Amino acid sequence: MSAAGMTKRAAPVLACIGLLVVWQVASLALKNDSFPTAIGAMRAIPDILGDRESLINILASLRRMAMGFGAAVLVSIPLGLLMGRSAAIAAFFNPLLMVIYPVPKAALMPIIMLWLGVGDITKTLVIFLGVSLPVIYHSFEGAKAVEEKMLWSGAAMGLSPVQRLVRIVLPAALPEILTGCRTGLVLALITMITSEMIARQSGAGNILFNALDMGQYETVFAMIIIVGAMGICLDAIFEKVRARLVRWSEPQFDMPLSFS
Amino acid sequence: MKARQNGRGSNDAPHGRESDSLSGRLLAKLMPLNPRASGTEGGMTVVSARSSEWVRPVTQQDPASAIIEIDRVSQVFKTSARKNHVALSDISLTIEEGAFVSILGPSGCGKSTLLYIVGGFVSPTSGAAKMKGQAITGPGPDRGPVFQEFALFPWKTVLGNVMYGPRQQGIRGTEAEAQSRALIEMVGLKGYENFYPKELSGGMKQRVALARTLAYHPEVLLMDEPFGALDAHTRTRLQNDLLNIWERDRKTVLFVTHSVDEAVFLSDKVVMMSKSPGRIRQVIDIDLPRPRRRNELLLDPRYQKYVVDIERMFDESDEAGAPA
Ligand SMILES: Nc1ncnc2c1ncn2[C@@H]1O[C@H](COP(=O)(O)OP(=O)(O)OP(=O)(O)O)[C@@H](O)[C@H]1O
Ligand SMILES: [Mg+2]
Repeated sequence: MSAAGMTKRAAPVLACIGLLVVWQVASLALKNDSFPTAIGAMRAIPDILGDRESLINILASLRRMAMGFGAAVLVSIPLGLLMGRSAAIAAFFNPLLMVIYPVPKAALMPIIMLWLGVGDITKTLVIFLGVSLPVIYHSFEGAKAVEEKMLWSGAAMGLSPVQRLVRIVLPAALPEILTGCRTGLVLALITMITSEMIARQSGAGNILFNALDMGQYETVFAMIIIVGAMGICLDAIFEKVRARLVRWSEPQFDMPLSFS
Repeated sequence: MKARQNGRGSNDAPHGRESDSLSGRLLAKLMPLNPRASGTEGGMTVVSARSSEWVRPVTQQDPASAIIEIDRVSQVFKTSARKNHVALSDISLTIEEGAFVSILGPSGCGKSTLLYIVGGFVSPTSGAAKMKGQAITGPGPDRGPVFQEFALFPWKTVLGNVMYGPRQQGIRGTEAEAQSRALIEMVGLKGYENFYPKELSGGMKQRVALARTLAYHPEVLLMDEPFGALDAHTRTRLQNDLLNIWERDRKTVLFVTHSVDEAVFLSDKVVMMSKSPGRIRQVIDIDLPRPRRRNELLLDPRYQKYVVDIERMFDESDEAGAPA
């Protein structure tokens, strides 16, 4: 491997180590009870992951997240694509989405809790809402940008409107759609934790905020590390899949900006 | 178009056919939707007729009858500044079945727009276009476009692009692949089957676009400057290949070009258009013997006269046609 390649590989690891060092030094300097050292927090991680109860909680969180994310993607991509290709559908949904967009989805939770209780459905629904909007938006933009002549070519080959949507608009917009999904994935994680903060009952967020209430700060920070690591892993896996799916669209020439 | 769909299931073994023989041509006329590739002849793929169950009643189809009729078509675009822009004004044109017709005209005179109307992609502001007596209401596999912008599917490889049409027509994978590989070889892209469009040069994309359209055997080819981005050598080769295909299958071709040479070399008829607003200036019959050989034709005084005459007419219109 070339030297440049090595640095590229090592860079994220170095960044993590650097962050932990700064944390360690800062907490030693501040000597504050609610700010444990990095080493202390790391020590608490095996305790959490070794605990059956905690594992069940974390898995329950992940399950809700997967369901909310999956459902959102399944609904949002077709909707976004239809909006991108039909002015009438776009005109109908755009105002609705504009209303929902700026509202923090967690702020809707109390109402949803009133209707649906504090269980899985409510939390999954909130995740669903959080993921939907970026995915709809990016699918919409991607579908709008599909070159008209490509659709014409498909029509000339005898593709019906539905076939054109599935077999031309979808693949052509895929790079854009996947960008939306990537944002959606991170938002799913965020809304997952927030929803568990509001409706405490189970989940990773529940462990975190209970520990906070009880003043177990090392557990709190350990949970933050765990959630952060989950985010990084999910994002990395997703990025791998994405790069594989849209290899055909990646830019060919990597033009360096030459900062160095 | 319907007929082709009916013919789907007939995956009979293709049998070679002498493409230049009279019977071959007759067969091609009877079954304009036919062909399937098999074998090679003089560097060209020999296409054999599909012995489909359906055969059009011969009486219904006079071989020299009009296949496309454009009747007083005008196209007015609304520009972004909310002004009316006349792209085509009162165009009437009849294209006979099996004819090779070129449209020649300055940039922006509405050549592409006219092609889109025949393709059914754009409906004219007024007037109507007909295909075989039926009003054109939308696109269909009987009219195959080759766009100026290529419009390849970027997520498909060269092979995937060329196979797309045949697969859509229900041709089996292995067979569609064999046909497509032969076409790719014909346009000179052997070895590039697994390249993605972004990995091709402009001229290569243009050739893929041509192969992709030929692959589903449209009755009418609508070609929008298909050789515009090619070097002189490849251009000549593809012109010859196109002529061979056309002479063999007697497809109807509507061919847009900027090049007077190309128009005269290829066509039965050259339609000269003039700008602002897009009109037909003149339709010139090219009365040169076929099959045409480039090296013979370039020395033929009749060919030279056509080229010189048409070029002179354009020069005159340039002088007279400065917008008032
Ligand atoms: N969608 C559109 N909206 C407004 N005007 C258009 C549109 N499409 C084409 N035009 C106008 O119509 C005219 C004809 O365009 P067209 O593309 O048919 O020209 P062309 O003869 O194919 O030119 P070229 O040889 O450069 O390809 C041009 O003046 C153009 O400005
Ligand atoms: Mg054009």
